[in-house]
Amino acid sequence: MKVKKTNHLTHTTPVFEVLTEEEIEAIYFSALSVLYETGVRVYNEKGYDLAHSGGAIVEDVTDDSALVKMPPEMVDKALATLPKKVVVYGPDRKNKMELYKDQIYFGAGSDTPFTIDPDTRERRRATYKDVKNLARLADALPNLDFHMSLGIVQDTAVGTYDRWQYLAMLEGTTKPINITAVDLDGLNDQLEMAYIRLGGEKEWKKGPIFSLYIEPVSPLSHSVEVIDKLLFSADKRIPFVYTPCPLAGATAPATLAGTAVQALTESLLGIVLSQLRKPGAPLIIGGLMSNMDMRTAVYSYGSPEMALLSAAYTQITKWLDVPMYETAGCSDTKLYDEQAALESTINIATAALAGGNMIHDVGYMEQGLTSSPEMLVASDETISRVKRILRGIPVNDDTKALDVIEAIGPGGHYLAHDHTFERFKTEIWPPKMTSRESYEEWEAAGSKTYGQRVNEKVQEILEDEKPILDEKMYKELRRICELADERHAGEELELDMFG
Amino acid sequence: MSEKIFEKLSTAVLEGDSGTSVETTQKGLDEGLSAGDILHSGLIVGMNEVGVRFKRGDMFVPEVLMSAEAMSEGMKLLRPLLAKSGVKMAGKIVMGTVKGDLHDIGKNLVSMMCEGAGFEIVNIGFDAAPEKFIEAIKEHQPNIVGMSAMLTTTMRAMGHTIKAIEEAGLRDTVDVMVGGAPVDQEFADRIGADGYGANAPASADLAKELVGIA
Repeated sequence: MKVKKTNHLTHTTPVFEVLTEEEIEAIYFSALSVLYETGVRVYNEKGYDLAHSGGAIVEDVTDDSALVKMPPEMVDKALATLPKKVVVYGPDRKNKMELYKDQIYFGAGSDTPFTIDPDTRERRRATYKDVKNLARLADALPNLDFHMSLGIVQDTAVGTYDRWQYLAMLEGTTKPINITAVDLDGLNDQLEMAYIRLGGEKEWKKGPIFSLYIEPVSPLSHSVEVIDKLLFSADKRIPFVYTPCPLAGATAPATLAGTAVQALTESLLGIVLSQLRKPGAPLIIGGLMSNMDMRTAVYSYGSPEMALLSAAYTQITKWLDVPMYETAGCSDTKLYDEQAALESTINIATAALAGGNMIHDVGYMEQGLTSSPEMLVASDETISRVKRILRGIPVNDDTKALDVIEAIGPGGHYLAHDHTFERFKTEIWPPKMTSRESYEEWEAAGSKTYGQRVNEKVQEILEDEKPILDEKMYKELRRICELADERHAGEELELDMFG
Repeated sequence: MSEKIFEKLSTAVLEGDSGTSVETTQKGLDEGLSAGDILHSGLIVGMNEVGVRFKRGDMFVPEVLMSAEAMSEGMKLLRPLLAKSGVKMAGKIVMGTVKGDLHDIGKNLVSMMCEGAGFEIVNIGFDAAPEKFIEAIKEHQPNIVGMSAMLTTTMRAMGHTIKAIEEAGLRDTVDVMVGGAPVDQEFADRIGADGYGANAPASADLAKELVGIA
C-alpha cells in the first residue's frame, strides 16, 4: 500500500531555483556540443596529448597550443569517476568542509592587490601582516568555514608570494584553506609546507588540508600553468577548484544562458582531463560568473546577474552531482558602506538559498581589487541571519505548540512559559552587531552606525592575538618560503612596492 | 552639399554604422572633399560626440566599440591619402599584453577605443616578451607603446619591458602607457611609464594627451 505522508513534517529549507530541469539539461547538452564542435584551446602539450589519448580530436596545433574537441562520451566517462563528495580539512584537522549535495560553507575570496587598512580605512597594497590579520578575523568569525588569502602579499619577493600568503594564513587560521599558486613550483612548495604542518607526507593521505584554486581563461582557453597545476593536483590528490570567470558581454555571450553554457564547457574540460590523469581525482567546479559593467568595463562583483548566474550554476552542478564553488559576500563598492551591505546581502542570501557548497569571495570589494576586514566581519552576521532563514519553519506537533496555546489561553503571555524558555534560543535569531535598542540606548552608546560598530568589532578581534604555530613549526614553514626566495633571487625586477 | 556628407558621417559614427561610414567616406572623396576635411569635420565630430555621451552615461561600451569600428572603417580609406597630404594624424600605437599574461580583452578594448580616437594600432597580442615590443618599435616606429597586465605577478613585466626598451636605446622614441586591473598611477610612476590609463576610454584620452592632440 502506498502511504501518502501528511504535512506533519514539511520540507523546511526554502530553496531559490532559477532554472527548470529542462533548462538545466538544455544548458548541459549545449555545453557538450560546444566542447565537441567548437572545442577549447589548450596551451599545454601534456594537456592536449592526454586529451588525445582519451579520445579527443586534437587539431590546429601551433607552437604553444592546440584546439581540443571532446566527444560527449568522454564527459560521461569522466563524470562516472569524479567524486561526488570532496572533503578538505583545516591545518589541525579540527575543522573540515564536506562538500556535497546541499552542504554550504562560506569563506573569503583571494588575491586582491589592495586592502583597506583597518586603522586608517585607507586603501593600500596588501602586506604579509594584512593577510595574516584577515585570516585571524576569519578564524574568529563563526560563520566563515574556510579561508583564502584576502590580499596579495607584496612586501615579500615577487615570484614567491604564494608561499608567504600560505604561511600568513597558517599563522592566522585553523580553518580549511583554499590556496592559489603562482606556478607549479609554488604549488609544490605549499604542498611541502602542508606536509610539515601535518607532520609528514603520509598524513596528507588521511585527508588534504588545502584545496587549490585554478582559473582557466575565458573564453575557452586553458593556459600552460592551469593545466600543469591540474595534472599535478590530480597526481597528488589535491582537491582543486576549476573555475572559469567569464564576463557576460565581454568574455562570454551577453545572454546569461550562453555564459552558463560557456562556463560549463570550460569546467568540463577540467573534469575530463583530471579524470583521464587520475580517475577519482577530487575537483570542485565553479562558480564565478558575472557581467561586464557596460559603462566602466569592469567585472561586476555585486550585480544581480552574478547572483542569478551563481544560483543557476549551482542548480546545474547539483544536477550533475558535482561539488560546487559559489560566489557571494562581495561588492563593487570602494569602502564598507551602504552599497557593500546591500550587494553582499543579496548575493549571500541567494547563494545560500541556492545552496552551493563552497561559497567564496566574502570580504571582496571594488571588483575583486580590494579586500575589506569590515566586509568580512559584517558578512559574518549577514550569513548568520541568512542561515536562520535556511532553517525555515519546521511544522510538527511540537512546533505548532497547541498545548502551549491551550495552556496560556486568551489574554495571557508566553514569556514566562517553559516552552518559550526552552525554544527561543533555537527559534529566534540573536543579532550581534545589528541595532535593535531604543533610540536613547543607541544614543547613549555613541550613536554609532552599523559600519562603525563593524569597525570596532574588527579592532576588538585583532587586539587579542594567540599564536597558532609554535616557534619551531613557524621556522620550518618559513624556511620553505626563504628557500624559494633564494631560488628566485634575481629573476624579477627589483621593485619595492612600499618605499 | 559637403555639410550634408559631414553630418551623415558623424551620424554614422555615432550610430556605429560601419556600412554608411565607409559608403559616405567614399562618396565624399568621389565628390572631391579632402581626406583631412572628411576626417576632422565628419568622422572625428561623430567620435567626439560618442566620447561626450559615454562620459555622461548615455552610451555604453558595446555601442562605443561599434562607433569606433565605424570610424576606423572610414579611416581605412583615408589613411593612405592623409599620409600623402601630410595631415597630422593621431599616430601609431604598439599595443600588447606583457610576458606571462594571457589576458587579452582589456588591451583589445583599449586598442579599439584608441582606434576610435584616430590612432593606428599595431596589436602584438598577449604574452609578449620585451624583445617582441622592441622588434615592433623598430619595425613600426610608433609614437606610443601600450602595455597591459592583469596579474600582480605579470605587472612587473611592464617594468622589465620598459627597462629593455631603454637598453635597446629606443626609450626616447616612444611614450609608454600602461594599464590593467592591479596597476595604478603610483605603480606606473614607479616603473617609469609616461602615463596610466584607468580604463579604456581614459586610455584613449591619455594617448591623445601623449601625442598632444587632446
